[in-house]
Amino acid sequence: MNLSYRIGHVFFRNLMSYKRFVVPTFIASLIQPLFYLVTFGIGMGAYMGQFGGKSYLDFLVPGVLVSSVMLSASFECLYGTFIKMIHEKLYDSLLATPVSAEDAVAGDIAWGAFRGLVSGTLMMLVAMVMGVSPVSIPSVLLLFVLMVFVGILFGSLAMIVTSFAPNFDFFSYYTELILTPMLFFSGVFFPLDRFPGWMKSFAQFLPLTHAVAVARAVFSGVYPRGLVANFLVIVGLETVVFWAALKLMKRRLIK
Amino acid sequence: MSAIITAKDLVKKYGDLTAVDGISFEIGEGECFGFLGPNGAGQTSTVKMIHCVSPVTSGSLTVAGLPAHIDNRVLKKMTGVIPQEITLDNDLTVYENLIVFSKFFDIPRREAKVRIADHIKFVELEAKRNSRISQLSTGMKRRLLIARALLNNPRLIIADEPTTGLDPQARHLIWQRLRQLKAQGVTLILTTQYMEEAQQLCDRIVIMYQGKILKEGLPSRLIEDEIGREVAEIRIPAEEDAKLIAQLEGFSSGHERVGDTLFFYCKDGHNLRHKLVELDLPNTVHRPATLEDVFLKLTGRSLIE
Repeated sequence: MNLSYRIGHVFFRNLMSYKRFVVPTFIASLIQPLFYLVTFGIGMGAYMGQFGGKSYLDFLVPGVLVSSVMLSASFECLYGTFIKMIHEKLYDSLLATPVSAEDAVAGDIAWGAFRGLVSGTLMMLVAMVMGVSPVSIPSVLLLFVLMVFVGILFGSLAMIVTSFAPNFDFFSYYTELILTPMLFFSGVFFPLDRFPGWMKSFAQFLPLTHAVAVARAVFSGVYPRGLVANFLVIVGLETVVFWAALKLMKRRLIK
Repeated sequence: MSAIITAKDLVKKYGDLTAVDGISFEIGEGECFGFLGPNGAGQTSTVKMIHCVSPVTSGSLTVAGLPAHIDNRVLKKMTGVIPQEITLDNDLTVYENLIVFSKFFDIPRREAKVRIADHIKFVELEAKRNSRISQLSTGMKRRLLIARALLNNPRLIIADEPTTGLDPQARHLIWQRLRQLKAQGVTLILTTQYMEEAQQLCDRIVIMYQGKILKEGLPSRLIEDEIGREVAEIRIPAEEDAKLIAQLEGFSSGHERVGDTLFFYCKDGHNLRHKLVELDLPNTVHRPATLEDVFLKLTGRSLIE
């Protein structure tokens, strides 16, 4: 493992290029989660009645928020990185400088996490406009921290997929077969407690389940028992996939 | 001249494929050294090991006294690379490309600005400073790659086919710039398939084929030793070869039939020329020998695929 402060240089490069795409990426990262909030939250919420004393929209917002972090970080480390690696050959020129392969990949994961943070923050603002806000200022700050963790986790997972990807089409397997189903099994749209036992157990294997649980608790300021375990799962898994992402990408980049 | 690069029994394998097959060479400080070879002969793999982006499979390779290794940041810091492929950042402008790259080398911002202004001038891209990469011609992109390779004031520059796909004007400009750098004492390693380029720039060359070094030396010496001074190309049917070879024996130092042409090599063209005039053959070209003749003689004149 050859990591250094040069991760920041790679992040800086991405920031330089980002300034030209800020507006289109804002729109792109808002559209899908906004669509969920409006259709499910307002549309379906009208039929749902109260959820633990609050509206369905209140239930929905924290889950949609971490989902938008997940999607943004994932897409950045799938398509964004693939373009930089294969089409633009940016990694080739990076590797000839003192920036190591690990620095380059970690810099891109950090960038993916940042993109996730931006999407999540936008989502939070939209939710506030719709009348759903985190319970307190510390809870907003904690949400930022959580978003960074979630971004690094899903950015690293996506990076592992990218390290095997022969072409763009390969990403559809991951997005259609893993990311999208995960949205529906992780308690984003409905509570997990009415699921049959096997499905509850299955949901525990999905990283998003834990992220949603933590986000909902932080958002409402009500911390149920077992939350520490959720957080530890996120951090533990993150450490493993981050390490694996660097190893696997290095194997792909250095021949 | 002290050696800046020493390779001994250097091997590079990609799986089962042996790209570089046990080569040894030395490159002196301040020298311009050329790796010549047909596609896939191993020259790009060799230079990639030298600038530390590809691990050495076996053998030893030292650069400036340090072992070449993919994590050797010291060597990467003193090396400038002009890559074969255009690896510029299309999302950024000319200036931003250079700013970002100077950051990769930890060059302080103020110093970077001075160097960038110098280098943009050196490669004559002042007018394109704020243009996006897509607005540049291929020649401009190649020049920008040179400017980028110079940002870290390299002691060693590696140019991997730096003029591929360029028109003659752009090519000559790049040659001039590379010669200027060499005059400043920079060590230059060039890979090329253009023999004229090698003759223009290199002090010493090696000709590689199938991962091995076939010949090493000064371009002019190689031509002299392998071919002679002049070449006569005669387009005649193959059946007449034996007769003509007998007639020209004693005037040439060697001959070779390739496709529809019979090549005669000679050390002293004067007598051969007289003889050819006397024989009054049609379809005859008589010309000075070039590095291309050496290259083709050693690596074969038929297509390599």
